[in-house]
Amino acid sequence: MSDVERLIPYPDRDSVLWWAALARHEFVQQRCDDCGTWRWPPRAMCSGCGSFTWTWQPAAGRGTVISCIRTHHAFLPGFEAPYFTVFVSIDEQADIVMPGTWHHADPPQVGLRVQVFFDDIDVREGAPVTLVGWQPADD
Amino acid sequence: MGVGYTDFMKNSGVSTLALALQAIHAACDDAGISFKQLDGVATHRVGDSVQGAVVLNALGMVDPKFYVDQFGGGSASHTVVGQAAMAVATGVADYVVCWRAINARSEYRMGGTGRPPPDVVEFQYQTPYGYATPPQQFASMASAYMAKYGATREDFGRVAIRQRDNASRNERAMMRTPITMDDYLSSRWIVEPLCLFDCCLETDAAIAVVVTSAERARDLKHTPVLVSGAAWGGGHTLYSNHREDLTTSAAAAMSKRLYAMAGAGPEDIDVGCIYDAFTPLVLVQLEDYGFCAKGEAGAFVAEGTFPFNPHGGHLSAGYVHGINHIAEAVEQLRGNAGARQVAGAEVALSTGQSGYVAGSSSALILRKGEQS
Ligand SMILES: [Zn+2]
Repeated sequence: MSDVERLIPYPDRDSVLWWAALARHEFVQQRCDDCGTWRWPPRAMCSGCGSFTWTWQPAAGRGTVISCIRTHHAFLPGFEAPYFTVFVSIDEQADIVMPGTWHHADPPQVGLRVQVFFDDIDVREGAPVTLVGWQPADD
Repeated sequence: MGVGYTDFMKNSGVSTLALALQAIHAACDDAGISFKQLDGVATHRVGDSVQGAVVLNALGMVDPKFYVDQFGGGSASHTVVGQAAMAVATGVADYVVCWRAINARSEYRMGGTGRPPPDVVEFQYQTPYGYATPPQQFASMASAYMAKYGATREDFGRVAIRQRDNASRNERAMMRTPITMDDYLSSRWIVEPLCLFDCCLETDAAIAVVVTSAERARDLKHTPVLVSGAAWGGGHTLYSNHREDLTTSAAAAMSKRLYAMAGAGPEDIDVGCIYDAFTPLVLVQLEDYGFCAKGEAGAFVAEGTFPFNPHGGHLSAGYVHGINHIAEAVEQLRGNAGARQVAGAEVALSTGQSGYVAGSSSALILRKGEQS
């Protein structure tokens, strides 16, 4: 995959620590200190109980594919079509659905158990950037 | 309501401001009023069209009584007309013009232009993955829908074929040559599981709709069309918490209050103008607006009993981000839809994008009124 002009994430003030953890190959998520609900993308407030206190907690990085697509048209710069994108409901909180790149020779399918793959992409110059990738679970 | 169209084109050669003004002028003509009688405006856009303030200025409107310039795409298409209806019903304004003007083919293609797409929502979690354009977003919904309900490509194909057939009777439609299931199945992939014929047409066009009170409408040029119900809905995007099931849209909850406001149910709808940026959206909405049970829309479409998108819709007539569905519903209810007229249409449902991308949706139920 050519990464020359690929768009990289531009974190905001809510997400900067999440992206930084990912770059350290840590799969962490916000978890509400008051009601225990996990949330993503990062937010200041728990939509379940309204609490503004949370902790970044390690999540297992496992889940189930709920959707997968194969892009045949290179809509965005830096991608060579065709390529897969998968959408994973994570074990800690089923209603967190996280898109990611696909890392296995066999195509993904809905229902497949998967685990996180830290997808380091080299873009332009500067700090390495890591994306969420997924691969078949080893259990 | 008065409705005004520009042509549906691949390259308008003019600005979105010029398109908007042409459509607004045509809508005023259609309503039988002067553009100088307009005292409110309502539009929506996603960074791809002229600002409402510039249109106001170009219309010479110095003291607008109502002004909406909403961020949003097809999901917002029906909100602006609903808001205009509230404005005239409460006496805030007398004649509000709603429009959408886009050069979606020649200036702002959704992806494929080499420039990043407009930052609709949460793009930091999408663009780095090469995932941000509408065909990808709706392919992700289609994949989940196929897996959960066993829907097939043929189910999607029947929507595309039916709407192309409808478009053959619409002189405004960009694509009027009928297609077969073989054509559908052999067309190229865009984003699996969606192929070329699952996707709408990128179009340069504008459409405007003039909204006024029922009382005033009775004395205008055409049979009035009444806003019988308007609803707003949504809440969760494709990327946020609370949406692990992509196979049910925001319309499922929203449709209940829409029907309640209109005092109608799905059995009362004579014609549906169902938002169809991509074929599987039509199936999901036929279910979520109560025309059939979840997972049964493929069979429901195959039965062919319910008339939807008689104009050919976004898939075959042209893509004006939802407002062309409202305009079509108006023409159907007036009974002046020509060769594509649905006989005896008195109540129409017109829907916006059902809440996937930006977490919002909107829809209208329209009824045929009476002239004085
Ligand atoms: Zn909480």
